[in-house]
Amino acid sequence: MIADRYNKISVNLRRSVAEKLVKMKILICVKQVPEITDVKINPETGTLIREGVDSILNPFCEYAVEMGLELERHYGDIETVAISMGPPQASSALIRCLEMGVDRATLLADMRFAGSDTWATAFTLAQAIRAMEGDFDLILVGKQAIDGDTAQVGPELSEILGIPQIMYAVSVELTGNKKKIRAKREIETGNEIMEIKLPGLVSLSKGPMIRSVSSFKEILDARKKELRVATASDLNIDENELGLGGSLTQVVKIFPPQVKKTGKLVDGSEPQGAAKKLIGFLRERKFV
Amino acid sequence: MHEIISEIVDSVDFKGIRCIKGYNEIARDYSSYLCDESKLAHQGAQYLFFPANEGELSAIFQEMAKRDVKITISGARTGLVGGAVPYGGAIVSLEKFDKILGLRYDNRLKEWLVKAECGVTIRDLNNWAMKKVFPGLSEGGSAETKAFLERYKESKTTYFYPPDPTEMGAALGGTVSTNASGARTYRYGPTRNWVRCIRVMLASGEVLEIPRGKCFATPAGEFTIIDSKGNETGVKIPRHTMPSTKNAAGIFSAPNMDLIDLFIGSEGIFGAITEVEIALQKWHNPVSIVQFLPSDDKAIDSVVALRKEKSIRPEFIEFYSSHALDLLRNKQDEDPKVVGMPPIPDYAKSAVFFDLRFDPESKDNDYSKLEEIVCTCGSTLAKSWAGYEQRDLERFKNFRHVLPETVNSIIAERKKKIPELYKLGTDLAVPDQALEKIWAFYKSKLEKAGLEWVAFGHIGNNHIHINIIPRSLEEMKEGLSIYREFAKKAVSLGGTISAEHGIGKIKKEFFSIMFSDKELKEMKAVKIALDPGLILNPGNMLNI
Ligand SMILES: Cc1cc2nc3c(=O)[nH]c(=O)nc-3n(C[C@H](O)[C@H](O)[C@H](O)COP(=O)(O)OP(=O)(O)OC[C@H]3O[C@@H](n4cnc5c(N)ncnc54)[C@H](O)[C@@H]3O)c2cc1C
Ligand SMILES: Cc1cc2nc3c(=O)[nH]c(=O)nc-3n(C[C@H](O)[C@H](O)[C@H](O)COP(=O)(O)OP(=O)(O)OC[C@H]3O[C@@H](n4cnc5c(N)ncnc54)[C@H](O)[C@@H]3O)c2cc1C
Repeated sequence: MIADRYNKISVNLRRSVAEKLVKMKILICVKQVPEITDVKINPETGTLIREGVDSILNPFCEYAVEMGLELERHYGDIETVAISMGPPQASSALIRCLEMGVDRATLLADMRFAGSDTWATAFTLAQAIRAMEGDFDLILVGKQAIDGDTAQVGPELSEILGIPQIMYAVSVELTGNKKKIRAKREIETGNEIMEIKLPGLVSLSKGPMIRSVSSFKEILDARKKELRVATASDLNIDENELGLGGSLTQVVKIFPPQVKKTGKLVDGSEPQGAAKKLIGFLRERKFV
Repeated sequence: MHEIISEIVDSVDFKGIRCIKGYNEIARDYSSYLCDESKLAHQGAQYLFFPANEGELSAIFQEMAKRDVKITISGARTGLVGGAVPYGGAIVSLEKFDKILGLRYDNRLKEWLVKAECGVTIRDLNNWAMKKVFPGLSEGGSAETKAFLERYKESKTTYFYPPDPTEMGAALGGTVSTNASGARTYRYGPTRNWVRCIRVMLASGEVLEIPRGKCFATPAGEFTIIDSKGNETGVKIPRHTMPSTKNAAGIFSAPNMDLIDLFIGSEGIFGAITEVEIALQKWHNPVSIVQFLPSDDKAIDSVVALRKEKSIRPEFIEFYSSHALDLLRNKQDEDPKVVGMPPIPDYAKSAVFFDLRFDPESKDNDYSKLEEIVCTCGSTLAKSWAGYEQRDLERFKNFRHVLPETVNSIIAERKKKIPELYKLGTDLAVPDQALEKIWAFYKSKLEKAGLEWVAFGHIGNNHIHINIIPRSLEEMKEGLSIYREFAKKAVSLGGTISAEHGIGKIKKEFFSIMFSDKELKEMKAVKIALDPGLILNPGNMLNI
């Protein structure tokens, strides 16, 4: 009996050592955003009007989660972890990740994080990853958050952690015996294939055309998975580097861009005349 | 009390009322007032009125009666049986009756009540109730109403109006006069259950205010209406028994019935409903679940089991037959965006769709009973789709709507080749214990005939819509005769020929399957008593 038990323990030990050796770890940074198609800004305070607006998982972050899970399905033996910095209610975005199939999640919630700019956000995320996750293979982020919209947090995070990055990926594959990642990324002139060594960071700009749906079982099970809430004290971080104090930038004013109506419309009801006018215009400006 | 007094309303000069005269102008500029969603062919109209208050409506009724011009009452014209389609005479659109009149908490009934004019849409009513803003009430309401409004806003509870005919653009008055139902009728009953008071303008131009619970029929089944001049009209209620299902066929009848119920569901043949007071219900956040099952029969089993298990209380239970899922799969192949859902899994051979109360914050949601039922029916909760975020609830709702829309588009396409073709959609319901029987009957008949068909809809109320999609005129003829057989079978099982769409002008031929000549005569007698000139809604429900 005792021998049996020892055997089991040693088998378990061996397996966990083996898991450490082979199991990849993908960290997915996600942000909760207001569900807005039409952004409304309070003209007096310059902040987003969030009243009466539902909060959702940022769509580009959802693509990152989809990609992490797709890699897990395809290559197996991958642990997926979602991390978010935000107020306590941002846990619902993490629960959504758990429903989608992510293994566990961590919420960085602390009043001291409030007011972070993109740098402070990236720095806090980096410190949290260092303090709580240790070794990892890949970080996935969304191309941008649909509220802040800067697309800065991903690149900053990779710089702070000193790992290579690929931005705006639309598809990825693991290469070089899972030691590298190769991504197709969108650039203005078309597509580009890029490969980096792992650990690295990839931001996603595309996902499935139709958002995935969870089963009711996944929704119920998600609520039993690990959702850790960490505060500034859990991170090895100097108070001055947090939140508003740790922010390098400050938003002075937010205003909608002025719509410039400088376009010139050529009446196309008479195609030949219109074409002539157009050519005349282009010649005048020395375009042709 | 079985007596009620009708009042005269402040009279208005008929000449000042907005009116479009002559068929040509109506057909040219106001053609949408000539049809409803049934697309039934109209028989023209000479006048189109837009009264804005009871005074104007009364003047129109009196003047038309004098000229012996019949009147068709027009709500939002979303009806499916041609009720608002004119057969000559005048159209009276009630769209200008669009104001919210009051909000109050009734201490005796322990519920919030909203009073509105008949033209307010169900969509607006629900949005206002849920968002707690009632346009016009805070400025125009009485001090008492304002105080109630404050209290309503401060309450942490969200309220809603349960009747949900799929077409939320329907007007309140239209839904009351058709006793509209929807998916939620499963849990909350039809419109009738939520109406607390109505004002009805009779053909005479006088108005009855009928609160629920005040005016009941005598044991002999009579009401007496006394007009402003003291003339008495006796109304003898019909004696037919109502089917014990959700029902929109025929006028309401029950021993000692409330007068308000005579008007609810009467399709406007007794009078025009001008104002309605309705009750609100507490709203709970739901999760929408589409549970896939291995066969149609297992889906039926799951419905029977879900209804039996009292600890699970779905808001509604809807059905997608195996053929319905196939049709949606085809649609997904064509354009996945229209369906808005990931591919329907191959293992899915039918589905039931329901909403359950759900607290996303809670860790100890217990749905073990549901799991048991689903497993007994050959599936698991892993074989489902579920969502609770607002955008998902809307997506699931859309998934319910794309099916009838897909059927309609197939028919429209076939109509291009054979213009006489139309969709054959049933609206039959049976009592709970007859669900399995009627399903077996539907399926055997349809499969034997080799027709193209799908089944979907309000299975929680045993109200499955069978849609036959004919490919030829022969198939349509065959479909029609099968439809008749279905109607007879439903009635023989204690059901109804129309669970929610009503009779209007296009379901009258089925009326005689459900009611005897004597019963129809009794209904006609009510009509003659209340509208002796037979002015209102000619051609609707009764042939007189
Ligand atoms: C102009 C402007 C004004 C702002 N004003 C205020 C303000 O007044 N008050 C205030 O509190 N905040 C404000 N912020 C918010 C804050 O600075 C940013 O939201 C935050 O730093 C992330 O930047 P972003 O939203 O542009 O994300 P992006 O850089 O666009 O996000 C890219 C990706 O980075 C990851 N990511 C981003 N944020 C997080 C996060 N919190 N946790 C985990 N992953 C994340 C996600 O994967 C995301 O898809 C403002 C931001 C901007 C740009
Ligand atoms: C896509 C679609 C789905 C639908 N789904 C459902 C459903 O699930 N359940 C359901 O019950 N119905 C359904 N309907 C039918 C329709 O929406 C309802 O019957 C609705 O109650 C009709 O309201 P309305 O204001 O459009 O009435 P109208 O179509 O204008 O009129 C209907 C009848 O009521 C009379 N009427 C209208 N207003 C008044 C009034 N103020 N006083 C007296 N009589 C009046 C009219 O003369 C007519 O006979 C659906 C319709 C569509 C197009």
